[in-house]
Amino acid sequence: MAESSITESSIKAALEERLKAIHVEVQDMSGGCGQAFTTLIVSLEFAGKNSLKRHRLVNAALKEEIAQIHAWTAKCQTPEEYQKEQAATGGNDGPSFEGTSGGKVDGVQQ
Amino acid sequence: MSTIKDITTLEDWSQHLSSLPPTTLLVISFHAPWAAPCAQMATVLSTLASEYPVTEPLSTSWVAIDAEELSDVSETYNVTAVPFLVLVRDGKVLETVSGSSAVKVRDAIESHAKGASAGAAPTVNGNGATAAVDTKEFDTVEDPEKKKEELFKRLGDLVKAAPVMLFMKGTPSEPKCGFSRQLVAILRENAVKYGFFNILADDEVRQGLKEYADWPTYPQLWVDGELVGGLDIVKEELANDSDFLKSYSVKADVVAAS
Repeated sequence: MAESSITESSIKAALEERLKAIHVEVQDMSGGCGQAFTTLIVSLEFAGKNSLKRHRLVNAALKEEIAQIHAWTAKCQTPEEYQKEQAATGGNDGPSFEGTSGGKVDGVQQ
Repeated sequence: MSTIKDITTLEDWSQHLSSLPPTTLLVISFHAPWAAPCAQMATVLSTLASEYPVTEPLSTSWVAIDAEELSDVSETYNVTAVPFLVLVRDGKVLETVSGSSAVKVRDAIESHAKGASAGAAPTVNGNGATAAVDTKEFDTVEDPEKKKEELFKRLGDLVKAAPVMLFMKGTPSEPKCGFSRQLVAILRENAVKYGFFNILADDEVRQGLKEYADWPTYPQLWVDGELVGGLDIVKEELANDSDFLKSYSVKADVVAAS
């Protein structure tokens, strides 16, 4: 599978800059190929927006990147929601790893 | 669930016709391999067909005919454009639908299927969207602007092919991507009745729908002609509201065993 120039840090930087994200966690699930990412994005910009609108905001901010990669998962929370879930999970709020095997997406070639 | 039978010879055709009981609603789809709207119509029809159980006596029979290969049959039914749908019962033509409006096709089939004395009616209702009169017949348009307009019109119909439509990679029985597989599982767990479209099988829809929806990825779940989102969003909606999609669940309807 071809590598992309997209990395965990480039995504994080883009989100912090374009969405004023105050907390971002990005995990490359394609074994370093920059092809599949799962993310947790915390930003005030999400306040008052429903799920679809939040994701559209992220899609617009990362339009170029998403167009190039194979798989994209995002969890979009406001700072308040993030605090709540951190409290509820004992500090374990993070990107979604559902459907992955040990943090790697099934079927992604190395 | 019913499937569409491809009829390729005149013998098969007359044999099939004579084998049908007089109460069966025969759905004949005329297509041409070079006409792109036919590929979408095939999907709309196989989705519809799968909602009709195979009953004894047969309540519905679904066949597909290449309009040019079996031109004699096309002439019999005055087929001059594709895709073209003919509904027949007991040798009489009940209704024809020309063009690629999925809503018109669904409405026509559902209204005549209810007229059958045997077999179960489908459990999915068509949505209330009014179908635009589809006068465009052959897809011979070269102008890119018009082509796009056409494509968007087809997509508009396709997303309404069923109240809940899943655009995925692969099929529910053979998903070709982890996210599509998960979304199929979620729909199954919630016993949701839905139509699906395999975007790996049609690149025009695959790219066109991304633009139409302004959504860059698959799978995509559409409800009542509107985009809900992808896997993440569906999971979030369900976490926030366990009744999400409840009204589209099979448990709510009378189900006939297939």
